[in-house]
Order: sequence, then C-alpha cells, then structure tokens
Amino acid sequence: MNYSLVRSLVLKDWYFQRRAILLSLAGGVLSLAIIAFGGKPGFYAGLVFLIAILIGIGATLVVGTLVGERENQTLAFVMSLPISFREYTTAKLLVNLLIFIPFWLILVGGSLGLIVAAPDIHGLFAYTVIMAVEILMSTCLMIAVALVTESKGWTIAAMIVGNLGINVIGYIVAHIPGIANGMFGTTILWRPAATISVLVELALIALMLGGAFFFQSMKKDFI
Amino acid sequence: MNDLSVEFEGVCKRYTHFSLEDIHVELPAGSVMGFIGANGAGKSTTIRILMGLVHQDKGTVQVLGHPMPADQAMAKMDIGFVSEDMRLYGAATLAWHMEFLRRIYPRWDQSYAKSLARRFGLKLEQKIKGLSHGQRVKAAMLLALARRPRLLVLDEPTTGLDPVARVEVLGELMAALADEERTILFSSHNSLDVEQISDQITFIDRGRIIDSADKETFLDRWRRLRLVLPPNVVVPRLQGVVEVGGSGRLPVLTTNCFDPAMVSVCNDLGATVEAVDTMTLEEIFVANVHSRREQLTA
Repeated sequence: MNYSLVRSLVLKDWYFQRRAILLSLAGGVLSLAIIAFGGKPGFYAGLVFLIAILIGIGATLVVGTLVGERENQTLAFVMSLPISFREYTTAKLLVNLLIFIPFWLILVGGSLGLIVAAPDIHGLFAYTVIMAVEILMSTCLMIAVALVTESKGWTIAAMIVGNLGINVIGYIVAHIPGIANGMFGTTILWRPAATISVLVELALIALMLGGAFFFQSMKKDFI
Repeated sequence: MNDLSVEFEGVCKRYTHFSLEDIHVELPAGSVMGFIGANGAGKSTTIRILMGLVHQDKGTVQVLGHPMPADQAMAKMDIGFVSEDMRLYGAATLAWHMEFLRRIYPRWDQSYAKSLARRFGLKLEQKIKGLSHGQRVKAAMLLALARRPRLLVLDEPTTGLDPVARVEVLGELMAALADEERTILFSSHNSLDVEQISDQITFIDRGRIIDSADKETFLDRWRRLRLVLPPNVVVPRLQGVVEVGGSGRLPVLTTNCFDPAMVSVCNDLGATVEAVDTMTLEEIFVANVHSRREQLTA
C-alpha cells in the first residue's frame, strides 16, 4: 500500500471540499447554540437542524469526492496516477470518514453534552446514541453505494433509503421496551437493548465498508 | 533484458456490443507508435487495458516489464497519460496540479513544467475551468511530460484542437522524441497527426489489429497503379492487390506489397501502367480497412 499517495489523494479531496466543511461546521455550531439557548422549542429545532447538517455534509462529501470524479471526468486523471484500485478505494473511504466522523463526533458529543446538562431529558441519552450511530450508518451506506456504482442515480437512491432508515429505525428503536421505558424520564439509562442496537449498527457499517472493498476488488473496468 | 516497453499477447475483451479480439502489439523501447483506427475501433479500450484501468478477459499485457493489471501502480509511476476524455480539476489552478503531481512523482521536473507553461502560453495561477479546450489539452500534456515518463500514452490528444494548438502540441511531442529512451504510444483517428511523429504504425478496426509495421515499410509497400486497358483486355489479376477501383478501361489497383516487377507483369498482360502513385498514411489506412472488411464479408 502506497500510504504517501493515499495521503495525497485524501488531502486533495479535503482541499476541494474545504468550503462545504467550513459551512457545515458553522451550521453545526449554530444549531448547538440554538439547542443550548433556545429553550424547549429551540432544543427540537436545533436537533432537526443538526441532523440535517450531518446528513447534508455526508451527502456533499459523497457526491463531491466519489460521484463527482466520474461526472467531471477527473477519474481518468486520478487513475493515471501510480495507484491501484485498492489504494483508490482506501483513499476515498478514508477521506469521507475522516471528514465526516470528526463532525459527527463533535456534533453528537455536543448533543449528548446538552442532554447530560439538562436533567429533564436525561432519558433521551441512549436513544440519541443509537440514532447518532444510525446517521453514521446511513452515511456509510451512501459511501459504499457511491464507491461501487459511481452513479448519481444509485447514490440518490441510497440517500433516500438512508433517510427513510432514520425515520423507520427511529420509530422501531423508540418502541423497543428496553429503550422506550424511561426514554422521557430524568435518569440516564443504558440497558442491554441499547448495547445490542449499537452493536448491530456497527456490524452493518463494517459489512457495508467491507462489501465496498470486496465489490471494488471484483471490478474489471474502472473507467 | 526485455527491450519492449509494451507487449500485448492474445488479449481479448468482450462487451455486449463490442469485442477486442486477439490483440498482439509489441512496442520497442524508444519507439513512437501511431495507433490509428476509426471512432469505436477499439483504440481507447486497448489503451485502457494498457493502463490497467480495464482488465482483459484473456491474454497477457506487460508494460515496462510489469504485468498488467496486477502491477499497474508500479508501471504507472513511469507512464504519462493523456486522453481526450480526461479532465483536470476545474476549481484548481495549473500551479495546484503541478504541486500535486510534484509530490507524487520523484522525477517531476518543475523547471521543465514552467518552461512548457511559457511555451504553451499557460498561466500557472489560472483556474482550469477558465481555460479553453486547447489550453486544457496543453495543460494535460504539460502535466504528463513533466513527470519525465519512460512511456507516454496519448489517447486522441489532438481531437478538437484548432490548427494552431494542434501544431503546438505536436511540436512539443516532437521535442519529447529527442529523448531516445522515451517510448510513445499515440492514438488518433487523424492519420496526418500520427504520420508526423510516429515510426511504427498499427491499424485497428472493429476490435482487431489489421496491420502493424514501421512507417517506412507501409509507405514503401503500398502503391496505386493507374492502368489503361486496351479494348478486350481485362484487369490483370495480380498477387497483393487489395482493391480494384477506377472504372472500365481506367482501373486503379491498390497493392499492399508493391514490387516494381508488377509494372512489367501488367505490361505483359496487355495493360499500360500510366502511373505508380505513392499513398499517404490516410489513404493506406482507408484502403487497409476496406480490404479487411471485404475479406470478412466475402
């Protein structure tokens, strides 16, 4: 593995996505401020804003760094570099995750911090963690689909599935007894159901990313 | 020591509506091969297989001693590649691209890149999206040449260029030929461009290599014989005639293995040889394609 070249490709995408990163960061800070100082309506509005920013930056990165390479016909330039398919796949996964995960950690950490700071919503802690990992999972689905298909159509389909997934999984998780009981209480509860939910989500993330590597290695035509 | 820069052995690639069949190509180190074919003949597919970007279904490909596609990363360290459908990053400047490649290629020649930029009239701080098509091609050529590659692969680089830009790009390629170690594969459907710089010529049509030789051999062995036939004399049947054109008593024979003895054979058979015309590479290519297609349909 040529790590130096992988690093160059990651920095290249970072450079081209710098404006989207800065805008999302500003939006994220603003939504955390709304959550912190906006009272109860502000809490919900800020949370929705925060989720929208997370989904938005994930989608922007996927479209810009993966689908865009083919759409803008820069893929031939990248693939003319001394790089293998495996290194290309690694670079693209890394750039998406390395930009998205710090965002995700800051914004999710901020949300959890606010929950911890407000005793009347402590019960939402486990639910928030599960849904935060679900957002990460939806983004990984988009990354995997975009990486393998390089198609705008399929990537949009993955975005729709991911967004529907947030609602469907949110509904299902909210009805799991081990999580639903005490969700609106004032105590932070972490039951086995929450652990299992997070582990299942992490396993699905590993499956998606591993699948992306597998399908990339099976490809016979890269351009 | 293998002195072939590129070697294709029995390479096949099949798609639903197109297939590349049994491709054999040998490109000696230091030579310049013109790869000529009509649109859709298989030039780009062959070049993509050479670059490791498309995997062949059958056959072996060696590029600079590396098996492809397995060793493509190593091979591409020594390849400069420009293709008609390759784009640079529109939001970045030429200087950014140069810096990006400088970090990747140890042999990157920054002073040569700057001198090429001056010769091509390119501004380093201008964004790629602000460049004309001709300037973008020149920028891509600059980025390929300044890597100081052992193998330069150019897939239709002059397509869509105005005459001035074409001359400039071809001129720079000629200058690149001064380096005798550098091998160039230049594909085009424009045989005039290829003729200017190539010493080896390969014709491809409908996914098959139909002829390959050095340029002088092509130009020496292809001729058009303009005959005048007296009444009741039929067109002489000669070996090596691939096409009979003209009309009635004024036939034109095209041969791919001209021998001066053919003239006396024609005379002996009662025909008068009015002229023996040399052929341009374009005429040779077209005649070659026609005769090959006729053979296939016969």
